[in-house]
Amino acid sequence: MVTARVVSPPAEKLDDSGIVAASLEDPEAFGELFRRHAPRLHAYIKRRLGPSLADDVVAETFATAFRQRGRFDGRAEFAAWLWGIASNVIARHHRQETRMYRAFARTGVDPAEDGVAELAGDRVDAQACGPRLAKALASLSAQDRSAVLLLAWGELSYAEIAATLDLPLGTVKAKIHRARTKLRKALPEEKNDG
Amino acid sequence: MDEIDALRRMRTALAHEESPDRLAPRTDWRSGVAPRPRRSFKVPVLSVISTAALVAGAVVVISVTSSPAPDEGRPVRMGESKGPLEPGNALLVAATNVEKGATGKYWHTTRITGEIYAIGKSAADHYKLESRMQYDEWTDSRGKQCVAFGDLPARPWTALDKQKWEKAGAPTTVEFPIPEGTGGLFLKPTRTGGPCREVGERRFLGMTVKQLAGLPTQPEQLEKALLNIKGNWEAVSSKPGERPIRALKGDKRVRALSDAAGTLLGVAPAPPEVRAAAFRMLATLPGVKAEGETTDPLGRPGTVISLPVETTVPLGIYTAPKQLGTYRRQWIIDPDNGTLLAVRDLVATPPHGSRELPPGDDGKPRRLTVDTQPDRFHKRGEVSDYEVYAKAEWSDAVPR
Repeated sequence: MVTARVVSPPAEKLDDSGIVAASLEDPEAFGELFRRHAPRLHAYIKRRLGPSLADDVVAETFATAFRQRGRFDGRAEFAAWLWGIASNVIARHHRQETRMYRAFARTGVDPAEDGVAELAGDRVDAQACGPRLAKALASLSAQDRSAVLLLAWGELSYAEIAATLDLPLGTVKAKIHRARTKLRKALPEEKNDG
Repeated sequence: MDEIDALRRMRTALAHEESPDRLAPRTDWRSGVAPRPRRSFKVPVLSVISTAALVAGAVVVISVTSSPAPDEGRPVRMGESKGPLEPGNALLVAATNVEKGATGKYWHTTRITGEIYAIGKSAADHYKLESRMQYDEWTDSRGKQCVAFGDLPARPWTALDKQKWEKAGAPTTVEFPIPEGTGGLFLKPTRTGGPCREVGERRFLGMTVKQLAGLPTQPEQLEKALLNIKGNWEAVSSKPGERPIRALKGDKRVRALSDAAGTLLGVAPAPPEVRAAAFRMLATLPGVKAEGETTDPLGRPGTVISLPVETTVPLGIYTAPKQLGTYRRQWIIDPDNGTLLAVRDLVATPPHGSRELPPGDDGKPRRLTVDTQPDRFHKRGEVSDYEVYAKAEWSDAVPR
């Protein structure tokens, strides 16, 4: 009897779902998904939780995704599934995130940007309403905050946010609408044509 | 500019994407530590993500470097005083002594805030961890500030908690319920430090440092001045907008005034005479009483001044209640030097019952329940959270 050895195509040529499937046999293949998705996800998490926590959260997100990869059925986008896992991990740091927004609101210095080498001076001037926005962000519920920041910082569409948070589209719209209303109140009033 | 654009302009320095080759080693947060992986698989050779990062959820043993805070195991007995102390006695002594103090170029505070969380399923079988943040602030006479933050690792609260934590396998990542869902804490060392960052002019209670210096030095006049300060002074409010403290009545007014006094005695570079007035004003607030001697979270002896509070959440943030217990706020002061050592909240009535919350997105009623409370297993008199001033002093040394 001859055992045929199937040679799978190199991971770089597969789509995300293909890699997940391949990684069930060959765990190393999963590394390609890290290459593809970690940079953007990490940048988003850094913006929410600061650089030092971001490394931990990304590590935990990929560890979870890797462990649960057998459950990924390919019906949803891998990115939405991964960002959904990340959103759950971020939500566990809701208090820490809130504390940082509050400290920013109170002192005008953003703890999340601690240790970031760039432009200490300009940053304060460039974002004069930062502390006010931070205060409003501190007051949002975990899910409302996630929804509006996936839009603003994650640059996801409403449909992608719905998939990521596993919520109906209408609920996502309602959450973002509510969050925006609170944030708008934090901004200085200006003439508005719209 | 709409609010989404405003958000996009916030934290732009953090939005920069880094290459996966740089991220891979960094997200392996267990590097250098002997891992105890729960599952084994082949170490990827060429892939950028390391084995360790893939099983990052696994438990690692890292010793907790610092010992638990001293003297916090025993509940602090409330209402205990060593004699017929007048409510304001210690405060008046402190006020007299603070007036004698010399000033300097910078008001420098090193402040550590802690919150105590119960980890576990039952009162009989749980341990407590404290989460900690450190803030260093130097403020000069023009209000210019240099600020540094440190995210200190969480640690077991008492020696007994440390034993129980070790028995539980000494996890360095733990989860627990909070009203917003699930909270997490890290017990491993964090990257902290670095020089302080210069910031523009900082305001305290909405005032510039110059305005602070102009505050009345008599307690009654100081109170009147504080009553006119506009802000969000309520622990729970659905109405946006700022109102003066004067608009509040009863306990809420006392709480707001005591918060304002705490700011003047703590982070604000208020001149000694204003601090003295703040001590004296605190002494006159209804409900404030002296409780005798104690040690602060850093083990320093001090005198306790206390006030019952409905909730310990920061004022002006929330639109729904977050707590189900009641508390006693304690200011621990050093009367001899006229300094505020610490502020801490003790559980007066442990969390109980439930509270109605505004309806959720599905329109269904929601309730706040005990199982979401970090202090659900606290007993009366145990510390729920604290803020300790490791340093609060005038200094001529250059900020670093």
